[in-house]
Amino acid sequence: MLRFLKNNLKNSSKEDNEKYPSIAKNLDKNVKQLNKMFSSDKNSDFASREFVAQYSNNKINIFYYSTIVNGDKLYTGIIQPLLENVGETLKNVVTLEAIEELSTYEDVIEHINSGYVIIFEDTLDKAFAIDVAQFQHRGIEKSQNESVIKGPKEAFTEALGVNVSLLRKRFHDKQLINESLKVGERSKLEVNLLYVEDLVNNDVLKDVKKRINDIKSDNVRNVEMLEQFLEERPYSIVPSILYTERPDKAATYIEDGYIVILMDNSSACLIVPINFWAFFQSPEDRYLRFLYGNFTRLIRFIAFFITVFISAIYIGVTNYHSEMIPPDLLLAITAARERVPFPLVFEVLLMEIAFELIREAGIRIPNPLGPTIGIVGALILGQAAVDANIISPIVVIIVALSGLTSFAVSDVSMNYSVRLSKYIFITASAWFGMFSLTGAFIVWISYLSSLKSFGVPFFSPVTPTYKSPGNNLFRKALKNEIWRPGNIKPKDIKKKQTE
Amino acid sequence: MNLIKLFILMVPFYLFLTGCYDKTELEYQAYVVALGVDKGEGDNTFKFTYQIANPETGTAIGGGSSNEPASEIITVEGNDFLTATTTANASVSKKMTLDHTKVLVVSEEVARSDNFLGLMQTASRTTQIRRQVQIIVSKENARDFIKDNKPQLETRPHKYYQLMLERSTETGIVPESDIHRFFQLTEGDADLFLAMYTTATVEKTKNNGTEDEYKAGEIPKKGGNPAEFMGSAVFKEGKMIDVLDGQNTRLALIMDNTLEIDDLLSTYQDPVKEDYKIAGDFSKKSPTKVKIDYRKDVKTTIDVTVPFSFEVLAIPSLVPYSQDEKLREKLKASIEKSLEKKANKLIEKAQKEYGSDPFYWSLYIRNEFASIPDYEKADWNKKIWPNAEVNVDFQMSRLEFGKMVNDSQLNEVRD
Repeated sequence: MLRFLKNNLKNSSKEDNEKYPSIAKNLDKNVKQLNKMFSSDKNSDFASREFVAQYSNNKINIFYYSTIVNGDKLYTGIIQPLLENVGETLKNVVTLEAIEELSTYEDVIEHINSGYVIIFEDTLDKAFAIDVAQFQHRGIEKSQNESVIKGPKEAFTEALGVNVSLLRKRFHDKQLINESLKVGERSKLEVNLLYVEDLVNNDVLKDVKKRINDIKSDNVRNVEMLEQFLEERPYSIVPSILYTERPDKAATYIEDGYIVILMDNSSACLIVPINFWAFFQSPEDRYLRFLYGNFTRLIRFIAFFITVFISAIYIGVTNYHSEMIPPDLLLAITAARERVPFPLVFEVLLMEIAFELIREAGIRIPNPLGPTIGIVGALILGQAAVDANIISPIVVIIVALSGLTSFAVSDVSMNYSVRLSKYIFITASAWFGMFSLTGAFIVWISYLSSLKSFGVPFFSPVTPTYKSPGNNLFRKALKNEIWRPGNIKPKDIKKKQTE
Repeated sequence: MNLIKLFILMVPFYLFLTGCYDKTELEYQAYVVALGVDKGEGDNTFKFTYQIANPETGTAIGGGSSNEPASEIITVEGNDFLTATTTANASVSKKMTLDHTKVLVVSEEVARSDNFLGLMQTASRTTQIRRQVQIIVSKENARDFIKDNKPQLETRPHKYYQLMLERSTETGIVPESDIHRFFQLTEGDADLFLAMYTTATVEKTKNNGTEDEYKAGEIPKKGGNPAEFMGSAVFKEGKMIDVLDGQNTRLALIMDNTLEIDDLLSTYQDPVKEDYKIAGDFSKKSPTKVKIDYRKDVKTTIDVTVPFSFEVLAIPSLVPYSQDEKLREKLKASIEKSLEKKANKLIEKAQKEYGSDPFYWSLYIRNEFASIPDYEKADWNKKIWPNAEVNVDFQMSRLEFGKMVNDSQLNEVRD
């Protein structure tokens, strides 16, 4: 039964592709065909106009979506010249920059959908496509989620051309290639790969292209979804593609031989291949002076450690290794816990989940209601729960600390993997204390080091070791960054020309 | 294939079968801060006293009731530290843990008995009693000491012991005497182990001593906590044999490189005006040099050099030592001599009376022997040490006069 359905589906889609006839010389025939394909009687913004061209005295018909083209451009660049100008061919008459010749209806459909105007001329068995697209999008705004104090503030916006322009502005190199691929079976959207031709690793590039071409989904709307189609391990706890909304960050990676993937409907880009360290780095680390930048890096890694381990260590130490706690603290915790009815593990989990709730609610809550979160969160969960002896004040400190520090891991994906890992470790240490916590950590770190992002080991260039700019946990002074990251095997590894 | 995969997947679940073994919530445990040992009713039994800290005292969080005492003291008869906790549980509601025990108070009576070493074996066997637990010898019964020890400012007992032990060992009036060192010295079968000596009952005071010439219980003082830490109990081969006063304890610690004194303020006789004393800060910046010249069947000579610097803190006699080169020399010679005299006296006592040394000097002779049996045959305690010729040389490398060189001119002040 299933096989039958499958075959049926396959057949139907095949027919779908092949049913268009070729473009006819007769204009009326073409117009009819096109109107049928686009259901022009129902589709209200599908527009067409017929007139006689001045240069050839032939009937001409133009087709476009009125909602996605620039009306002024259409009038001054196409209609007016065709009506008034005299010339040899259509290409000489139309004043707009680029004209493509199309020979199949598939191309015609695709171009109309992308905001082109299609011109059919009587007696010609081809169509002309002219780009007059004007999709609506936001302007360039400040980076919201990856803000910096020192450094450029621009962020990507939901327009491919704008995003590419933002990147080209930052990297003036004739070798910077903007390669375009199509993705999606039904709605074909453009995916742009940006890379430096004489730096990028061809194997990785080929791999990326293959994965994009292999996507058989009907529609891939934006890079956020593309990311999940490209990933090698969709069920993994850690991400393998870097996602950023900052053009300067993307430019830094392009410079080092990475590949940046852009799409039209995302105010962000994807960077591949990537390693563990990149998820903790902010472009600001390199904009700040050596010492300051490394200080923030240190703080961020301490925060990472605290987020992942503080609750687990607290549970492990108090439940299994009370001899490890200094007596003053021990007695303080004991005194605080004397009236708490729950086991310590439950107490910690209760607060951790409460914190996750506040965080989730904080993201989803409509802006005018925002302040409620603070009141409910801080007052009810913090103060009142302690006063009611439901949790001990030390747990509030522990959970607040782990919650607060989790924000220092600013990458959205890594932030989730850190938070999920936290629960793994909490479970582990509730089980056998530090013993099983260590065990869980070993398993966790082994898993992480076994991962690869587009063939690049997750912990490289630290382990396995490669020549690199030394920009991992800490960074070197800029003038000492001699090498490109060797782990992605760029064509030219030398970054700084030394004598 | 699938079966194998399933089996491998199941492996982690076996761990669940044993989960949470050994887990104890903090509030289900009673933390013993001080452990006391007295002689029991039977021949080989002891009376164990446990001082259990009350976590609710002195903490702001959790709102503990302020009427509860800072600790609970319970004494039971038993065979060893651990099994007696079970007996104590007859009236203590929580599991007694010795993880956080700070001190092991042993009454002088038990310390002087042959049973003491046997009792201490428990401590080396269990993981519960830390090796850092300090052994304290109390003049009276350990229970009485723990009970009468009522510090006014540090009501919480663990804090009191922590601070008290830290400070008193810093000044050197009592030695550091953890269980680890006890076993190290006792099993090394040479040298004397010094334990803190203490009491909480003052019987007779000694009125003519200087600042450290006391044993616990002799200090003329008014007010404060009755408990006094002063001097040391001398253990030879796991048995207490004598008590050293604070001054001799300090001397022993100065000459011993394995222990440290940070803060050694004391007075010395003024060499010019002999009615007065000079106060100063003795500090040893580099280790004591011990050179042992050992030849078989010949008298061993031990040359000990103690380099030290001295900062004068008070010259009540107002003799202008700081101004006069000759006086300075005189002062220097007098301090060195007085220290040497005291040290020699202690060494002589150790040689003749104790038959072993409290300085851990056997360390410096061990490299003369090829094997442990050779060393044991040579017998430090019986043959080498009592017959050795010991030369002690205190060398003052620096003499300082504090931040003010001149004293007030007496005749100008009172004109």
